[in-house]
Amino acid sequence: MIWSNFILVLLSSSLLWLLALILYKKEFLKRLFIVLGTVCIGAFIAFLWVKLERPPLRTLGETRLWYAFFLPAIGMITYMRWRYNWMLFYSLGLSLLFLVINYMHPENFSKTLMPALQSPWFVPHVVVYIFAYAFLAASSLVAVRGLYQHYYQKLDRKVMLMADNLVYLGFAFLSLGLLFGALWAKEAWGHYWTWDPKETWALITWLGYLIYIHRRHHMPNVSKSSLWILALAFVILLVCWFGVNYLPSAQFSVHTYSQAP
Amino acid sequence: MSIKKPIWQHPFGYAESFIISFGILSVGFILEFILPKTQSTLVFPLNLILGISFFVLLVVSHFLFRKTKIHSFLSGIPLTIALVSSLSFLVILMGILPQVSSHKTGLIQQLGLNQMTSSYPFLMINVLLLIVLAFVSLRKTFPFKLKNWGFVCSHWGLWIVIFAGGLGSGDLRRLKMDVYENKIELQSYDENKKLYEMPLAIKLKDFLIDEFNPKLAIVENETGKLYEAQKPSMIMIEKGLHCDLQSWKIQVEEFYVASGRAGDRYYQLADFGAAPAAKVQAISPQNDTLQGWISCGSFNRPHESLKLNDQFSLVMTVPEPKRFSSVVTFYTPDGKKQDATLEVNKPVTVNGWKIYQLSYDDKMGRYSNKSILEVVRDPWQPYVYLGIFMMMIGAVYMFWKGRETIRE
Ligand code: HEM
Repeated sequence: MIWSNFILVLLSSSLLWLLALILYKKEFLKRLFIVLGTVCIGAFIAFLWVKLERPPLRTLGETRLWYAFFLPAIGMITYMRWRYNWMLFYSLGLSLLFLVINYMHPENFSKTLMPALQSPWFVPHVVVYIFAYAFLAASSLVAVRGLYQHYYQKLDRKVMLMADNLVYLGFAFLSLGLLFGALWAKEAWGHYWTWDPKETWALITWLGYLIYIHRRHHMPNVSKSSLWILALAFVILLVCWFGVNYLPSAQFSVHTYSQAP
Repeated sequence: MSIKKPIWQHPFGYAESFIISFGILSVGFILEFILPKTQSTLVFPLNLILGISFFVLLVVSHFLFRKTKIHSFLSGIPLTIALVSSLSFLVILMGILPQVSSHKTGLIQQLGLNQMTSSYPFLMINVLLLIVLAFVSLRKTFPFKLKNWGFVCSHWGLWIVIFAGGLGSGDLRRLKMDVYENKIELQSYDENKKLYEMPLAIKLKDFLIDEFNPKLAIVENETGKLYEAQKPSMIMIEKGLHCDLQSWKIQVEEFYVASGRAGDRYYQLADFGAAPAAKVQAISPQNDTLQGWISCGSFNRPHESLKLNDQFSLVMTVPEPKRFSSVVTFYTPDGKKQDATLEVNKPVTVNGWKIYQLSYDDKMGRYSNKSILEVVRDPWQPYVYLGIFMMMIGAVYMFWKGRETIRE
């Protein structure tokens, strides 16, 4: 009943963002439409909050709404600073994906809110990770390009600069994700870090990019080894993302959602 | 072509760094293999004394040796990369092998690979990382240059996190206390049910619980499992509710939050253990109408469901708590009294202990006269948080600066 208005939000946000995409050369209009589309989602969250008489943070569906709201918001901030158009539209695309999932799978929307649940850390933790993965994945594509150039052509200095910058941004978000996670865990379970397999692999990923950053700082003119480190770090990232559930250690993870609770 | 520097000649580079790290790992594993396993951790005041001595030693040796080659090696990137790689190696092992203690005595157990975080190689690599991190941070902090503030935040932040987190782990106490209404409790217990005397007494004056109304649900008769062909699969009961649940039309004709059965129906009642009950009408897809009472029961009353057909029954779920709280008085050794109300996610701090509302006797539900509290003492937490916040500032700095401006 409350959610029956949701289709309006989905339609207006998609429409506004589509306009932004079409008019992506018109700086002002693009930004205006993106912000308006985001405001629509924000307004719906506020509406839910009032109607449910509690913060809408309980169910997966409600959480997805917050992603859909914060993704374009952070995308916009990143855009204002770095002018990466692909990043901006990537965030809009992901946001729409979450909205569509919500529309296709309405769930039990009740007023109950388990007292212990719901930490304000949850949404920032995940949204920041989504950004980290986007930047780091992009940096790895650049690394593959760089390796190709290195072996078959002449390596362009600009490629390295691009890779470095993407890693810096991705690493910043990844660090924030880990730190939010630590604070959240401390508040909720009393431990910063439980060495859960998912956490362990996130740390390995972080260490991989840490090595890259320091290597680049030390040897700015030697590219081959750094590019290989970057490509390898992405393999670890993929393990962290998809592979963890298949490792022997995974049976003890609290983060693997595949099994029924 | 540059001429290769012979190994073990200053300045040390990557080769030396990786050999040294490999040596440290090997020594660590040998120690782990021959020394007996202990579970001892440092506790106050030993950890504090050791930590301060370590720090003072680092600062003094930094200022004594900062011009030497060994110092620039110990605060350089080659060693950093070798150590971080070694740490990654250990953490990858940890990420593959389950980290659970076991009584088996295979190679994995003897090398401590199933309890990596308390093994010698892990400890030694971390101590070395702390040394390197401290030297480079000191070098970048004295003399202080404003452009280094991002570096200072991230590196000192990480140093503080590892240092305070590692040293403080022995001082962390997480205990539980069961308090009963109108009784004073002094004892707490850990996960092994070992009892501790607290420097703090708690009297529970009142335990309050507010519940949501119970919900309607359809379960399979044979397995008792929730039937979820369509969502929503549960609907909260209200007086006069009409709703569709799966393919039945349900109407709530009467509803009591607290009631008891007498004869063929339920009556409103305020007894100890009185349970919610509802009179419902269910119309099946074939238009058959069923009617009856359902109740979720309580610790001293049976539950009752309505059989819809051979396969399914309509049930009332046990109500979920909306909020619960304990009205308590704390008594501290200095003779002071303090009143407080504990609620989930609203802990109260008394004498360095943080007290959380955790749970209650859920079999008794709202008739519980027992409240379960968690008492936590982590004297090092503020320092770890300081480190975490410094690292966050460092991360934001990285985001804002990026790499481009650094290069130009
Ligand atoms: C594992 C512990 C770490 C060690 C041992 C370490 C060590 C070092 C060293 C030796 C340098 C070279 C400093 C110089 O002489 O110019 C350096 C630079 C740098 N490190 Fe780290 N680091 C560590 C962790 C980190 C972390 C967690 C971050 C990021 C949040 C980071 C980011 C950087 C950056 C950005 C530089 C370049 C600094 C600049 O341009 O001034 N490091 N690090």
